[in-house]
Amino acid sequence: MSEPSHPRGPGGPASPPGLAEHYFRHEYGRLVAVLVRRVGLHHLEVVEDAVQGALLAALTAWVADAIPQNSGAWLYRVAHNNLMAVLRKDHGHQKILDGAADQGEEPVSATFAGEVRDELLRMLFVCCDEKLPRESRLVLALKTLCGFSTGEIAFRLFTTEANVYKRLARARDRLRDDELDTQTPPLELLRSRLPSVHSVIYLLFNEGYLSARAEHAIRSELCEEAIRLGTLLATDLCPAGPDAPARRAPGVAPGRHRWLAVAGRAGPQPLGRRASE
Amino acid sequence: MAKRKYLVLFRSQPTGGQPGPSPEQMQQMFAAYNAWKEKFKDAIFDMGDQLKSEGRVVTASGVADGPFVEVKEVVGGYMIVSAENFDRAEEVVRACPAVHAKGASLEIREMTGAKM
Repeated sequence: MSEPSHPRGPGGPASPPGLAEHYFRHEYGRLVAVLVRRVGLHHLEVVEDAVQGALLAALTAWVADAIPQNSGAWLYRVAHNNLMAVLRKDHGHQKILDGAADQGEEPVSATFAGEVRDELLRMLFVCCDEKLPRESRLVLALKTLCGFSTGEIAFRLFTTEANVYKRLARARDRLRDDELDTQTPPLELLRSRLPSVHSVIYLLFNEGYLSARAEHAIRSELCEEAIRLGTLLATDLCPAGPDAPARRAPGVAPGRHRWLAVAGRAGPQPLGRRASE
Repeated sequence: MAKRKYLVLFRSQPTGGQPGPSPEQMQQMFAAYNAWKEKFKDAIFDMGDQLKSEGRVVTASGVADGPFVEVKEVVGGYMIVSAENFDRAEEVVRACPAVHAKGASLEIREMTGAKM
Protein backbone atom coordinates (compact mmCIF):
# COMPACT_ATOMS: atom_id res chain seq x y z
CA MET A 1 0.00 0.00 0.00
CA SER A 2 1.33 3.42 -0.83
CA GLU A 3 1.67 6.03 1.87
CA PRO A 4 -1.95 6.96 2.30
CA SER A 5 -1.51 9.74 4.81
CA HIS A 6 0.44 11.98 2.50
CA PRO A 7 -1.03 12.29 -0.95
CA ARG A 8 1.60 13.57 -3.25
CA GLY A 9 0.77 16.26 -5.69
CA PRO A 10 1.50 15.64 -9.32
CA GLY A 11 4.49 17.14 -10.98
CA GLY A 12 7.00 14.34 -11.20
CA PRO A 13 8.56 14.50 -14.63
CA ALA A 14 6.96 11.25 -15.72
CA SER A 15 3.58 11.67 -14.07
CA PRO A 16 0.68 12.71 -16.29
CA PRO A 17 -1.32 15.75 -15.28
CA GLY A 18 -3.90 14.69 -12.77
CA LEU A 19 -4.51 14.11 -9.13
CA ALA A 20 -4.17 11.09 -6.91
CA GLU A 21 -7.38 9.26 -6.17
CA HIS A 22 -9.33 11.01 -3.39
CA TYR A 23 -6.76 13.82 -3.44
CA PHE A 24 -9.32 16.53 -2.58
CA ARG A 25 -10.86 14.46 0.18
CA HIS A 26 -7.55 13.57 1.78
CA GLU A 27 -6.18 17.08 1.46
CA TYR A 28 -9.31 18.23 3.27
CA GLY A 29 -8.37 16.00 6.19
CA ARG A 30 -4.76 17.10 6.18
CA LEU A 31 -5.56 20.84 6.03
CA VAL A 32 -8.23 20.64 8.73
CA ALA A 33 -5.85 18.78 11.02
CA VAL A 34 -2.97 21.21 10.48
CA LEU A 35 -5.07 24.39 10.75
CA VAL A 36 -7.04 23.23 13.78
CA ARG A 37 -3.74 22.59 15.48
CA ARG A 38 -2.79 26.21 14.84
CA VAL A 39 -5.94 28.08 15.84
CA GLY A 40 -7.62 25.73 18.30
CA LEU A 41 -10.35 23.15 18.26
CA HIS A 42 -13.11 25.59 19.08
CA HIS A 43 -12.61 27.03 15.60
CA LEU A 44 -13.18 23.66 13.94
CA GLU A 45 -16.20 24.80 11.96
CA VAL A 46 -14.50 27.94 10.66
CA VAL A 47 -11.47 25.88 9.72
CA GLU A 48 -13.62 23.42 7.78
CA ASP A 49 -15.28 26.28 5.88
CA ALA A 50 -11.88 27.79 5.07
CA VAL A 51 -10.60 24.47 3.74
CA GLN A 52 -13.75 23.89 1.71
CA GLY A 53 -13.29 27.36 0.20
CA ALA A 54 -9.68 26.60 -0.68
CA LEU A 55 -10.64 23.40 -2.50
CA LEU A 56 -13.31 25.28 -4.46
CA ALA A 57 -10.76 27.93 -5.39
CA ALA A 58 -8.39 25.19 -6.53
CA LEU A 59 -11.09 23.64 -8.68
CA THR A 60 -11.49 26.90 -10.60
CA ALA A 61 -7.87 27.98 -10.71
CA TRP A 62 -6.43 24.60 -11.63
CA VAL A 63 -8.90 24.04 -14.43
CA ALA A 64 -8.22 27.49 -15.87
CA ASP A 65 -4.47 27.18 -15.55
CA ALA A 66 -2.74 24.03 -14.37
CA ILE A 67 -2.11 22.18 -11.16
CA PRO A 68 0.71 24.04 -9.43
CA GLN A 69 3.96 22.26 -8.71
CA ASN A 70 3.37 22.24 -4.98
CA SER A 71 -0.37 21.82 -4.89
CA GLY A 72 -0.42 21.08 -1.16
CA ALA A 73 1.29 24.35 -0.29
CA TRP A 74 -1.03 26.20 -2.68
CA LEU A 75 -4.06 24.80 -0.87
CA TYR A 76 -2.60 25.53 2.53
CA ARG A 77 -1.93 29.15 1.64
CA VAL A 78 -5.46 29.77 0.37
CA ALA A 79 -7.11 27.95 3.28
CA HIS A 80 -4.93 29.82 5.76
CA ASN A 81 -5.81 33.19 4.20
CA ASN A 82 -9.51 32.33 4.20
CA LEU A 83 -9.30 31.37 7.84
CA MET A 84 -7.42 34.51 8.88
CA ALA A 85 -9.88 36.73 7.03
CA VAL A 86 -12.77 35.24 9.01
CA LEU A 87 -11.00 35.29 12.36
CA ARG A 88 -9.80 38.83 11.81
CA LYS A 89 -13.40 40.02 11.64
CA ASP A 90 -13.86 38.83 15.19
CA HIS A 91 -12.00 41.12 17.56
CA GLY A 92 -12.16 38.58 20.33
CA HIS A 93 -9.67 36.47 18.48
CA GLN A 94 -6.85 38.97 18.42
CA LYS A 95 -4.72 36.74 20.60
CA ILE A 96 -5.05 33.82 18.28
CA LEU A 97 -4.08 36.02 15.40
CA ASP A 98 -0.99 37.26 17.18
CA GLY A 99 0.13 33.70 17.46
CA ALA A 100 -1.01 32.33 14.16
CA ALA A 101 -1.04 35.25 11.76
CA ASP A 102 2.05 34.83 9.72
CA GLN A 103 2.87 35.30 6.10
CA GLY A 104 0.58 32.49 5.15
CA GLU A 105 3.47 30.17 4.53
CA GLU A 106 2.89 26.60 5.44
CA PRO A 107 4.87 25.73 8.54
CA VAL A 108 7.88 23.67 7.58
CA SER A 109 6.67 20.93 9.88
CA ALA A 110 3.47 20.48 7.89
CA THR A 111 5.31 19.58 4.74
CA PHE A 112 7.15 16.61 6.16
CA ALA A 113 5.27 13.37 5.83
CA GLY A 114 6.07 12.44 9.42
CA GLU A 115 4.70 15.67 10.81
CA VAL A 116 1.57 15.49 8.70
CA ARG A 117 1.05 12.01 10.08
CA ASP A 118 1.30 13.47 13.57
CA GLU A 119 -1.30 16.11 12.81
CA LEU A 120 -3.69 13.57 11.36
CA LEU A 121 -3.14 11.25 14.30
CA ARG A 122 -3.77 14.04 16.75
CA MET A 123 -7.01 14.84 14.96
CA LEU A 124 -7.98 11.18 15.09
CA PHE A 125 -7.54 11.22 18.86
CA VAL A 126 -9.56 14.42 19.08
CA CYS A 127 -12.40 12.72 17.22
CA CYS A 128 -12.22 9.81 19.64
CA ASP A 129 -12.49 11.89 22.79
CA GLU A 130 -14.51 9.92 25.36
CA LYS A 131 -16.39 13.11 26.20
CA LEU A 132 -18.04 12.96 22.80
CA PRO A 133 -21.12 10.82 22.41
CA ARG A 134 -20.07 7.47 21.05
CA GLU A 135 -22.10 7.79 17.86
CA SER A 136 -20.60 11.21 17.18
CA ARG A 137 -17.00 10.02 17.10
CA LEU A 138 -17.21 7.99 13.91
CA VAL A 139 -19.15 10.71 12.12
CA LEU A 140 -16.71 13.40 13.21
CA ALA A 141 -13.76 11.34 11.95
CA LEU A 142 -15.46 10.73 8.61
CA LYS A 143 -16.19 14.43 8.23
CA THR A 144 -12.96 16.06 9.39
CA LEU A 145 -10.32 13.42 8.66
CA CYS A 146 -11.73 11.66 5.64
CA GLY A 147 -13.37 14.68 4.00
CA PHE A 148 -16.80 13.14 3.41
CA SER A 149 -19.80 15.49 3.28
CA THR A 150 -22.77 14.94 5.59
CA GLY A 151 -24.72 13.57 2.65
CA GLU A 152 -21.98 11.11 1.75
CA ILE A 153 -21.68 9.98 5.37
CA ALA A 154 -25.43 9.44 5.65
CA PHE A 155 -25.41 7.42 2.45
CA ARG A 156 -22.61 5.20 3.68
CA LEU A 157 -23.95 4.67 7.19
CA PHE A 158 -27.54 4.02 6.08
CA THR A 159 -28.89 6.94 8.02
CA THR A 160 -30.39 10.34 7.30
CA GLU A 161 -28.45 13.47 6.60
CA ALA A 162 -30.30 15.19 9.45
CA ASN A 163 -29.10 12.51 11.81
CA VAL A 164 -25.49 12.91 10.69
CA TYR A 165 -25.81 16.65 11.05
CA LYS A 166 -27.16 16.26 14.58
CA ARG A 167 -24.29 13.99 15.61
CA LEU A 168 -21.75 16.41 14.15
CA ALA A 169 -23.33 19.38 15.90
CA ARG A 170 -23.22 17.54 19.23
CA ALA A 171 -19.56 16.73 18.74
CA ARG A 172 -18.68 20.30 17.80
CA ASP A 173 -20.60 21.68 20.78
CA ARG A 174 -18.74 19.44 23.17
CA LEU A 175 -15.39 20.35 21.65
CA ARG A 176 -16.22 24.05 21.82
CA ASP A 177 -17.23 23.87 25.48
CA ASP A 178 -14.02 22.21 26.51
CA GLU A 179 -11.90 24.68 28.43
CA LEU A 180 -8.71 22.90 27.44
CA ASP A 181 -9.37 23.08 23.77
CA THR A 182 -7.37 26.11 22.73
CA GLN A 183 -4.52 23.72 22.22
CA THR A 184 -4.98 20.19 21.12
CA PRO A 185 -3.37 18.00 23.77
CA PRO A 186 -0.03 16.49 22.85
CA LEU A 187 -0.01 12.96 21.54
CA GLU A 188 1.36 11.54 24.78
CA LEU A 189 -1.70 12.70 26.71
CA LEU A 190 -4.01 11.40 24.04
CA ARG A 191 -2.86 7.83 24.25
CA SER A 192 -5.36 7.06 26.96
CA ARG A 193 -7.95 7.34 24.20
CA LEU A 194 -6.43 4.44 22.35
CA PRO A 195 -9.29 2.02 23.08
CA SER A 196 -11.78 4.53 21.70
CA VAL A 197 -9.63 5.05 18.61
CA HIS A 198 -9.51 1.31 18.07
CA SER A 199 -13.23 0.94 18.36
CA VAL A 200 -13.86 3.77 15.90
CA ILE A 201 -11.51 2.27 13.32
CA TYR A 202 -12.97 -1.16 13.88
CA LEU A 203 -16.48 0.21 13.46
CA LEU A 204 -15.45 2.06 10.32
CA PHE A 205 -14.00 -1.09 8.82
CA ASN A 206 -17.01 -3.19 9.74
CA GLU A 207 -19.43 -0.65 8.31
CA GLY A 208 -17.70 -1.08 4.99
CA TYR A 209 -17.00 -4.79 5.21
CA LEU A 210 -20.40 -6.01 6.34
CA SER A 211 -22.31 -4.24 3.62
CA ALA A 212 -24.29 -6.05 0.99
CA ARG A 213 -22.61 -6.89 -2.29
CA ALA A 214 -24.43 -4.21 -4.23
CA GLU A 215 -23.03 -1.39 -2.16
CA HIS A 216 -19.46 -2.59 -2.14
CA ALA A 217 -18.18 -0.03 -4.59
CA ILE A 218 -19.26 2.84 -2.40
CA ARG A 219 -18.90 1.34 1.03
CA SER A 220 -15.52 -0.29 0.45
CA GLU A 221 -14.24 3.26 0.73
CA LEU A 222 -14.98 2.97 4.43
CA CYS A 223 -12.66 -0.05 4.59
CA GLU A 224 -10.00 1.90 2.75
CA GLU A 225 -10.33 4.77 5.21
CA ALA A 226 -10.19 2.36 8.17
CA ILE A 227 -7.01 0.87 6.77
CA ARG A 228 -5.59 4.32 6.08
CA LEU A 229 -6.21 5.49 9.64
CA GLY A 230 -5.19 2.13 11.08
CA THR A 231 -1.91 2.23 9.20
CA LEU A 232 -1.35 5.74 10.45
CA LEU A 233 -1.84 4.51 13.96
CA ALA A 234 0.18 1.33 13.65
CA THR A 235 3.23 2.94 12.08
CA ASP A 236 3.42 5.91 14.33
CA LEU A 237 1.73 5.56 17.65
CA CYS A 238 4.00 3.08 19.30
CA PRO A 239 7.60 4.11 18.77
CA ALA A 240 10.23 1.56 19.69
CA GLY A 241 9.82 1.10 23.40
CA PRO A 242 8.80 -1.37 26.03
CA ASP A 243 5.10 -1.01 25.19
CA ALA A 244 5.35 -1.39 21.47
CA PRO A 245 3.72 -4.68 20.56
CA ALA A 246 1.94 -3.24 17.56
CA ARG A 247 5.16 -2.17 15.97
CA ARG A 248 6.68 -5.60 15.95
CA ALA A 249 3.97 -7.55 14.25
CA PRO A 250 0.73 -5.73 13.67
CA GLY A 251 -0.67 -8.57 11.63
CA VAL A 252 -0.45 -11.16 14.37
CA ALA A 253 -0.53 -9.07 17.52
CA PRO A 254 -3.13 -10.33 19.94
CA GLY A 255 -5.64 -8.41 21.98
CA ARG A 256 -6.05 -4.74 21.36
CA HIS A 257 -4.54 -4.81 17.92
CA ARG A 258 -6.66 -7.63 16.66
CA TRP A 259 -8.63 -5.28 14.44
CA LEU A 260 -5.55 -4.79 12.33
CA ALA A 261 -5.20 -8.52 11.92
CA VAL A 262 -8.80 -8.57 10.78
CA ALA A 263 -8.07 -5.74 8.38
CA GLY A 264 -5.02 -7.53 7.03
CA ARG A 265 -6.81 -10.80 6.41
CA ALA A 266 -10.15 -9.60 5.24
CA GLY A 267 -9.05 -6.45 3.48
CA PRO A 268 -8.24 -7.75 0.02
CA GLN A 269 -11.43 -9.74 -0.29
CA PRO A 270 -13.96 -6.90 -0.39
CA LEU A 271 -11.35 -4.62 -1.90
CA GLY A 272 -10.49 -6.50 -5.02
CA ARG A 273 -9.28 -3.34 -6.66
CA ARG A 274 -6.82 -2.69 -3.88
CA ALA A 275 -5.40 -6.19 -3.92
CA SER A 276 -3.80 -5.56 -7.27
CA GLU A 277 -2.20 -2.29 -6.25
CA MET B 1 -14.13 29.64 -43.00
CA ALA B 2 -13.04 32.13 -40.45
CA LYS B 3 -14.08 31.37 -36.94
CA ARG B 4 -16.46 33.61 -35.12
CA LYS B 5 -16.32 34.39 -31.45
CA TYR B 6 -19.12 33.73 -29.04
CA LEU B 7 -19.49 35.16 -25.56
CA VAL B 8 -20.89 32.63 -23.11
CA LEU B 9 -22.56 33.92 -19.96
CA PHE B 10 -23.03 31.59 -17.01
CA ARG B 11 -26.16 32.26 -15.06
CA SER B 12 -27.19 30.58 -11.87
CA GLN B 13 -29.86 30.91 -9.24
CA PRO B 14 -28.57 32.02 -5.86
CA THR B 15 -28.19 28.80 -3.87
CA GLY B 16 -29.15 30.37 -0.55
CA GLY B 17 -27.39 28.33 2.09
CA GLN B 18 -27.27 25.09 0.16
CA PRO B 19 -24.11 23.13 0.89
CA GLY B 20 -21.49 23.27 -1.83
CA PRO B 21 -19.99 20.22 -3.50
CA SER B 22 -18.10 17.73 -1.34
CA PRO B 23 -14.34 17.29 -1.85
CA GLU B 24 -14.98 14.06 -3.75
CA GLN B 25 -17.53 15.77 -6.00
CA MET B 26 -15.05 18.58 -6.59
CA GLN B 27 -12.48 16.07 -7.73
CA GLN B 28 -15.00 14.58 -10.16
CA MET B 29 -15.83 18.07 -11.43
CA PHE B 30 -12.13 18.76 -11.82
CA ALA B 31 -11.74 15.65 -13.98
CA ALA B 32 -14.85 16.48 -16.00
CA TYR B 33 -13.75 20.06 -16.70
CA ASN B 34 -10.27 18.96 -17.71
CA ALA B 35 -11.64 16.35 -20.09
CA TRP B 36 -13.97 18.93 -21.61
CA LYS B 37 -11.20 21.50 -21.91
CA GLU B 38 -8.95 18.98 -23.63
CA LYS B 39 -11.64 17.82 -26.03
CA PHE B 40 -12.56 21.33 -27.14
CA LYS B 41 -9.22 23.05 -26.76
CA ASP B 42 -9.40 24.44 -30.29
CA ALA B 43 -12.76 26.03 -29.58
CA ILE B 44 -12.13 27.50 -26.16
CA PHE B 45 -10.70 30.89 -27.01
CA ASP B 46 -10.71 32.25 -23.47
CA MET B 47 -11.63 30.24 -20.38
CA GLY B 48 -12.90 33.51 -18.92
CA ASP B 49 -13.41 33.88 -15.22
CA GLN B 50 -15.91 33.66 -12.43
CA LEU B 51 -17.53 36.79 -11.10
CA LYS B 52 -17.92 37.76 -7.48
CA SER B 53 -21.44 38.40 -6.28
CA GLU B 54 -21.05 42.07 -5.41
CA GLY B 55 -21.45 44.58 -8.19
CA ARG B 56 -22.31 48.13 -9.16
CA VAL B 57 -24.61 49.34 -11.87
CA VAL B 58 -23.83 52.71 -13.40
CA THR B 59 -26.54 54.76 -15.08
CA ALA B 60 -26.79 58.43 -16.04
CA SER B 61 -28.61 59.07 -12.79
CA GLY B 62 -26.04 57.45 -10.53
CA VAL B 63 -24.65 54.21 -9.21
CA ALA B 64 -26.52 51.37 -7.55
CA ASP B 65 -24.83 48.66 -5.53
CA GLY B 66 -25.66 45.01 -5.94
CA PRO B 67 -26.81 42.47 -5.03
CA PHE B 68 -29.88 43.02 -7.10
CA VAL B 69 -32.60 41.25 -5.25
CA GLU B 70 -35.14 41.51 -8.02
CA VAL B 71 -33.08 39.24 -10.28
CA LYS B 72 -33.75 35.55 -9.97
CA GLU B 73 -30.58 34.64 -11.81
CA VAL B 74 -27.16 36.16 -11.45
CA VAL B 75 -24.33 36.13 -13.96
CA GLY B 76 -21.62 34.09 -12.30
CA GLY B 77 -19.00 33.87 -15.01
CA TYR B 78 -18.15 34.11 -18.68
CA MET B 79 -15.94 32.62 -21.34
CA ILE B 80 -15.31 33.08 -25.02
CA VAL B 81 -15.74 30.25 -27.52
CA SER B 82 -14.50 30.40 -31.07
CA ALA B 83 -16.39 28.34 -33.63
CA GLU B 84 -17.37 28.19 -37.28
CA ASN B 85 -21.00 28.72 -36.51
CA PHE B 86 -23.64 28.84 -33.81
CA ASP B 87 -24.28 25.09 -33.89
CA ARG B 88 -20.67 24.31 -33.19
CA ALA B 89 -20.58 26.88 -30.37
CA GLU B 90 -23.68 25.27 -28.92
CA GLU B 91 -22.05 21.84 -29.10
CA VAL B 92 -19.08 23.10 -27.11
CA VAL B 93 -21.25 24.73 -24.48
CA ARG B 94 -23.61 21.78 -24.23
CA ALA B 95 -20.69 19.55 -23.30
CA CYS B 96 -19.46 21.94 -20.62
CA PRO B 97 -19.84 20.42 -17.13
CA ALA B 98 -21.22 23.75 -15.86
CA VAL B 99 -24.46 22.97 -17.71
CA HIS B 100 -25.23 20.33 -15.10
CA ALA B 101 -24.86 22.63 -12.11
CA LYS B 102 -28.16 22.98 -10.33
CA GLY B 103 -30.21 25.89 -11.67
CA ALA B 104 -27.53 26.87 -14.17
CA SER B 105 -28.09 28.24 -17.64
CA LEU B 106 -25.54 29.28 -20.23
CA GLU B 107 -26.34 31.98 -22.73
CA ILE B 108 -24.41 32.09 -26.02
CA ARG B 109 -24.13 35.40 -27.88
CA GLU B 110 -22.20 35.88 -31.07
CA MET B 111 -19.75 38.75 -30.93
CA THR B 112 -19.90 41.13 -33.90
CA GLY B 113 -16.18 41.67 -34.01
CA ALA B 114 -16.74 45.38 -34.47
CA LYS B 115 -14.14 47.41 -32.66
CA MET B 116 -15.22 50.20 -30.44
